[in-house]
Amino acid sequence: MTADTLAGWSAANRRRAEAMLAAYPDRRSAVMPLLYLAAMEHGHITEDAMREVAALTGMTPAQVQSVASFYTMYKRDGVGRYLISVCTSISCFLLGSDALLAAVEEETGTAGGESSDDGLFSVEHVECIGACGGAPALQVNYELVEGVAPDKGAALCRWLRDAGPEIVLSDEMQQLFGGRRSFDWAIREHEGAVAPVPAFAPYGSSGEEGA
Amino acid sequence: MTAETGDRVTITIDGREHAAEPGALLIKAAEEAGTYIPRFCWHPRMKPVGMCRMCLVEVETPRGRMLTTACTMPVAEGLVVDTKSAVVEKAQEGVLEFLLINHPLDCPVCDKGGECPLQDQTMSYGPGESRFVEEKRHYEKPIPISDLVLLDRERCILCARCTRFSDEISGDPLIEFKDRGNLTQVITFPDEAFSSYFSGNTVEICPVGALTAKPYRFRARPWDLEAVESVSMVDSFGSRVSVQASQNEVLRINGVDNDPTNQGWLSDKDRFVFEAINSEHRLTTPLVKENGEFREAQWSEALELIAERLGSVRGDEVAGLGGARSTNEEAFAFGKFLRTVVVTPHLDAQLDDGLDPRFLAGTVARATVSDLEEAATILVWAADLKEELPVLYLRVRRAATELGASVVVVHPRRTGLDDVAAVKLTYRPGDGADLLGSLRSKRRARAEVTAARAALKDGPVVAIVGRTSAAERPGLAEAVAAFARDLPGAKILPVARRANVFGALDMGLSPELLPGRVPAASAQGRSALEEAWGPIPEPGGRSATPILEGLRDGAVSSLVLLGCDPARDHPRPILARQALENAGFVVALDLFLSDTAQLADVVLPLEGFAETEGTVTNLEGRVQKVNRIIPGPGRSRPAWSVLGDLSRRMGGDLGAPSAEVLMEEIATVAPAYRGLSWDRLEWGDGREGLVVPTGDGEQPLQHVPDAAALDGAGDGWALHAGRVLYDDGVLTRMSPSLAALAPRAAAYLGPADAGKVGVEAGEEVILRGPYGAVALPVGIDPTLAGGTVYVPANLPATAALGAPSHVEIERLEGGGS
Repeated sequence: MTADTLAGWSAANRRRAEAMLAAYPDRRSAVMPLLYLAAMEHGHITEDAMREVAALTGMTPAQVQSVASFYTMYKRDGVGRYLISVCTSISCFLLGSDALLAAVEEETGTAGGESSDDGLFSVEHVECIGACGGAPALQVNYELVEGVAPDKGAALCRWLRDAGPEIVLSDEMQQLFGGRRSFDWAIREHEGAVAPVPAFAPYGSSGEEGA
Repeated sequence: MTAETGDRVTITIDGREHAAEPGALLIKAAEEAGTYIPRFCWHPRMKPVGMCRMCLVEVETPRGRMLTTACTMPVAEGLVVDTKSAVVEKAQEGVLEFLLINHPLDCPVCDKGGECPLQDQTMSYGPGESRFVEEKRHYEKPIPISDLVLLDRERCILCARCTRFSDEISGDPLIEFKDRGNLTQVITFPDEAFSSYFSGNTVEICPVGALTAKPYRFRARPWDLEAVESVSMVDSFGSRVSVQASQNEVLRINGVDNDPTNQGWLSDKDRFVFEAINSEHRLTTPLVKENGEFREAQWSEALELIAERLGSVRGDEVAGLGGARSTNEEAFAFGKFLRTVVVTPHLDAQLDDGLDPRFLAGTVARATVSDLEEAATILVWAADLKEELPVLYLRVRRAATELGASVVVVHPRRTGLDDVAAVKLTYRPGDGADLLGSLRSKRRARAEVTAARAALKDGPVVAIVGRTSAAERPGLAEAVAAFARDLPGAKILPVARRANVFGALDMGLSPELLPGRVPAASAQGRSALEEAWGPIPEPGGRSATPILEGLRDGAVSSLVLLGCDPARDHPRPILARQALENAGFVVALDLFLSDTAQLADVVLPLEGFAETEGTVTNLEGRVQKVNRIIPGPGRSRPAWSVLGDLSRRMGGDLGAPSAEVLMEEIATVAPAYRGLSWDRLEWGDGREGLVVPTGDGEQPLQHVPDAAALDGAGDGWALHAGRVLYDDGVLTRMSPSLAALAPRAAAYLGPADAGKVGVEAGEEVILRGPYGAVALPVGIDPTLAGGTVYVPANLPATAALGAPSHVEIERLEGGGS
C-alpha cells in the first residue's frame, strides 16, 4: 500500500515515510511526522498530500485535514523560499512589532500573510516565539533573530533577496541584523541551532539522512 | 437499579444523599437521582469529552469548592456536589453567553426551533439578553455535506457530537473539525462527502440546527408533529423508532433508545424510508385485470371475484407466498386463511433466499443481541451486516471497539466489519465447507485460519450465521452453526434480512412450521392446533421454489401473495416470471404495484408501516409492538381485515374482528407466544420487547443445526450476489432521497482474475447463469477471493441474473473466458 500511495514521491522521502510508519505500533500515530514529510514532498500540504497521509495511516482524509489545519506550521498554501514570521505577542508588540511587520511587508511586497509575487517571501505574524527578552523578534524559516528594529528588518529582507542564502542561520542573521538577545548573558555555544538535532533525523531537516 | 447495593457509593447532590454506581459519570448519576444537569456535548451512548462546558457543577475538594464538568467526573464515596449554587448559575450563564456569541439566533426559520436544547437551556439557564454587539461569524449556509444532510456552520456550537458519533459509533469519520480557535468548524474533506449509512443519527443528536436532513427540512415544526413509538420494518433487526406525522402524513422517523436493540441509532434507510409511505405510487384501490389491463374495482367486487376463483379449485391447487413484511397478526391471519379456509399446505414466507425455516425459528442455543455485550469472541459468517442489517453491524462494532470482543469475519469479500475484525477470512463461495473443515481440524493451515482457530477458543462465543448471499447454498449457514455449537459458551444468532421474516415463520408461514414454533410434523402440535382451528391439511406442502415450479408446470393453479415480490426477490427470476404467467389465478395484496403484482389478476391495496397496528418479531425472537399514526391511502385496508372478509365470502371465518383479537388467539394457539398481549408490550414488562418464548410459553421445536453434506460442484465462476443497503427494493425505489443513493451496478473481479478474462475496469462483459444473463461493466475488487465474481444483487441492471451459484463470463467483443 505504501508503494502505491507514494508512487509520486522521491525515493528518499518514501524511505523516510516507511521508517516513520514502522516506528509506531499504531499506524495512525505517524500522522504528524508524515504530514511534515508530505509538505516537504509537495512544497506545502496539498489535498493530495492529505489523501496520501490518510491512505498511509488508515485514517480518513477528513481526520488528516483536522490535524493538518489545527497546527499553523503545517502550511496548506504555498510558501515562499523565505518564510518570515514576525512575532506580534505582547512583549514584541510593546516594543514595536507593528512597525517591524509593516516594514517587512513593505520591503517584501507582501500584505497580511500573503506571499510575494516572485515567490521569494511569505510573511506571517505569529504568537509568542519565546524571545520576549529580545523583543521585537522574528524568524526566517523558523531561525530566530532578536531585537530587530524596523529598518534592520527591511535590510534583512534586502539581504535575503540579494544574497539569496541557500540555508539561513540564526547566528549569522543575528550578527548582521539583530540587536539585543534574550540570552546574551548566558550560554554561547552554537549547539542546537547549527548542529544536527538527533530527534529531527527522521525528517531529514537537520542535515542528516533519515534512518 | 442493580441488587448489589453494597457496591454502591453515597454521594450528596444539592444537600441530599443518593446511592450511585461507583465510577459512573456524575451527570448520569445525578440524572438517575432525579437532578438534571444541562448539557450539549455529553450523550449517554458516547464517550465524554467535556467540550461544551454546559454541565459545570461545584464539587467539594480538599482544596475547597471547585467548578468541574459533571460529564467527565466519576463519582466516588462521599462526593458532595452543588448543581444550583450561585457560582454554578453564573458559570452556566457565562457558558451560554459564549455559545450564543456566534449563534445566529435564526430560530424562527430553523428546523430545530421548538425542540432545540440550545433554545431550551438558554431559557432555563441563560442570560436574558446578549451583550455582544460585534459582528458574528459568517459562513455560507447551509452547505450539503452529503446527499441527505445539510450543514449550517453558523449555528454550530462545536459540541463534537456528530464527529464523535461518526468516529466512535459508526466508524466512518468523514466529518471532523477543521482549523482552530474562532475559525473552528465541522466539515468534510473537500471532495469526500459524508456518505455514511448512519448520517441521519448526527442530525438527530445535533443539539442545535446545524445539521438538518433534506427529507425533513422545512416540512414541519416540532410542535405540529404527533408521534407514536413503533419498530422499523426495513430489516429484521427491529430498531425502535418514533414515527412522527402531521396532517396524516409521516414526516419524520427518529430513533428511540431501546437498550436491547438499537440503543437509539438507526440506519438512514430506517430513517428516511418514510418517503415510501407517502409515495404517490401507493395502491389506493383494488385493481382487477381485464383483457390484460388493470381497472379500478370496488372491494366487494374484487373480493367476490377472488372468492369465486379460489373456491372453484381444490384447496391444494392454491399456494400462498409472503407475509415476511407484514405484522405477526397479519401473517397469522394469512396462515390461518390458507390452512383453514383455502385448505392448502403450500405456503412460504421466504423465497428460497433465506435459510431453513426450522433453523431460523427454532435453533437450539439461540443468542440474543444483548449476548454480544458479554461475548469474548464473535464469529460473523453471514451477509455483510453493514449492508443488510446495519444496526446489528453497529452493535457488533460496539462489542469490538468498546467491549473488547474479538471479531472473526468470514465472507467472500471485504465487509463493513473488516476494520474492527481481529481475523478476516476470505473464501470463494462454494469452498465454505472446506474452510469450515480446516477451521475444525488441527492440521497446519494458512496464518488467518490458525488465528481464527485461536480466537474461537476464547468463549463465550456468539456466532452470527446467515447466507453470505442468495447465491450461497443455505446449508452452509447451518453447517457453520453446527460447527459453532462446539465452541466454548457458544450461542447462535441465525440472521435473515426481510423485516418480519422471523415473525412470519413463528406464525407458521412455512410448510415445516405451525404457529408458535411447532414442527408441522409433530402430531401433538397438530392436534392441539386442530382443536382450535378444526382440521388442517397434512404436512408435506410445497415451499417457495416448488410452489413456483408447480405453478409453471400446472400442479398448482392459483397463488395468493401477501406483500411478496418473487419476480424481484426469488433467486430464479425467470422461474418466478414463468410461474406467474402460467398461473391460472394470482391475487396480490401489496402496498405497491410491484413487478409481481403487475402479473396478478387481482391486486388489493394494503395499509402498511405506520398505518397498521400489530406486533413484529426480530431476528433474536424479540416481539415488539408497531403502531399506527396515519390512515392508509385511499381505500387501502389492513391485511387481516381483508383476509377476514375474504374468508367469510369463501364460507369460512378467521374470527378476527381486530388485530388485537388475533394477538389474543396467537397467545392461545402459538406455544412460543403464550402469555403475550399488546397490553403487556405497551404498558407492562414488555416495553423493551419480549424475547419469546417468555416464562409463560414454550418452544416445541428444538432444531439442532445440521452439518448436512455440502457439495462444492459447479462450473464457471463462483457468484457472490451480496446485497447493498440501497438496492432496488421497493422501499428504496419509492423513497426518492434513498433511490438516488443506489450504487452503480458492475461485475467485480479480482485484479488477477480480470487479467485471466482479459478485461479491464469499465469494459462490458456478459454474465450468463442458469437463471438469466446480464451485461455489466467490469469493476476491480482486490478483496475478492480468486475465482469469484461479485455482482451486487437486486439492482435494476443485475436483477435479471438472479442468484445462481456459478456463472460464465463472456467478453463482449472477441475472446471468451
